[in-house]
Amino acid sequence: MKFMKRLKWFTGLFAAVMLSAFTVVSAHAEIAPDALIKTVATDVTTVLKADPAILSNAAKLKELIENKLIPNFSFARMTQLAMGRNWSKASPDQQAALTKEFQTLLVRTYSGALANFRNNTIDVRPLRMQPADADVTVKTVINQPNGQGIPIDYSLEKGADGNWKAYDIVVAGVSLVTNYRDEFNTVIRDQGVDALVKQLQAKNK
Amino acid sequence: MKFVVVILAGVMTLSGCASFRTTAPGDPIEPINRGIYSFNTTFDHYLFRPIAKGYDFVVPGPIKTGVTNVFQNVSDVQSLVSDALQLKGAKFGDDLGRVMLNTTFGIGGIFDLATPMGIERGNEDIGQTLGYWGIGSGPYLVVPFLGPSSLRDAIGRYGDSQVNPLSYVSSVPVRNSLTGLSVVDARVGLFPAEDLLNQASLDKYTFLRSAYLQRRQSLVLDGKRPKEE
Repeated sequence: MKFMKRLKWFTGLFAAVMLSAFTVVSAHAEIAPDALIKTVATDVTTVLKADPAILSNAAKLKELIENKLIPNFSFARMTQLAMGRNWSKASPDQQAALTKEFQTLLVRTYSGALANFRNNTIDVRPLRMQPADADVTVKTVINQPNGQGIPIDYSLEKGADGNWKAYDIVVAGVSLVTNYRDEFNTVIRDQGVDALVKQLQAKNK
Repeated sequence: MKFVVVILAGVMTLSGCASFRTTAPGDPIEPINRGIYSFNTTFDHYLFRPIAKGYDFVVPGPIKTGVTNVFQNVSDVQSLVSDALQLKGAKFGDDLGRVMLNTTFGIGGIFDLATPMGIERGNEDIGQTLGYWGIGSGPYLVVPFLGPSSLRDAIGRYGDSQVNPLSYVSSVPVRNSLTGLSVVDARVGLFPAEDLLNQASLDKYTFLRSAYLQRRQSLVLDGKRPKEE
């Protein structure tokens, strides 16, 4: 009986420790959106500064982007937003193809643009948010060597796993998602969803 | 100016019967705009871009920077007028400080001393001023030779030209050369964006239209973005 009591006590303690450890771990997993942007930006610029040759090395550049940038973006949400009301007109196959091609296009475009960011610093404005917020905008300014700053805002949403992912980038007031929504709309209006998939595929070849 | 009036008149007559095709909201004369856009693209490809490329290649970097700075100083003067018209005291102070500092110690604006000191450009114009006082952008316009604009901004551009210090240069050949140089300087500044445009867009016309309208809206609101949806 004594043994059983002790066992119960032990299991209780064990459960309590596990629970608190788990809470600590999950609190760590939920890195705040502004801290996330700051960390990713600092990581990427540090790598670029340490090894500028990476910009001309396609394989290394791809690795950097796949490790550091892609996990922090929600390409599914981006595609859906860029499609707007046309999203429901697309079949599941078309939706999957669009998401895949759109991701490739964006990654290519922005890996090219990374070269311009080597000598820049980024200021991330502290974010005032409520614990319940699941959709926030983090404001940043890219400081160029010539002294002029470009405002860049990131829209992020909180996933079911508690991780924040970016779904839009607004450069000097121009939203990437809105820009593509207008383009996608034009193509779909004139030629249909399949034509859009084909155009994206051709662009990515 | 006569040219602009003719275009506007043409646009207004044509927009009446341009409804034969569904167009994007905000761009009721899309077929006409697309025509002008493709004219501009051809003109740029065969004449304008090669000139700007040549200038970019031949002229040494520091001189190019000096030229850019001089024209930015000129546009700071224009901004000053729009700051006043919008009663934006802080921006007016900044632009005034910039113009005074850069014109004197910066030798006519060749050196931009104000930016490293943290005095930011007000970056205002008459189109934004009209927007600030509640005038919407109106239909999107592609202006021959000049590119993306809107009815409001095209009118604003005319207003800006009236307060452009260059228009007070009395010698016509000098004034025309300066205007030409400012246009080439502006075109060189677009080279980086051009690569991005080619890489990123499916339909350059739509891409530019969307970026232009969003950017102007953002400038009118001084970067405060209305949350959509």
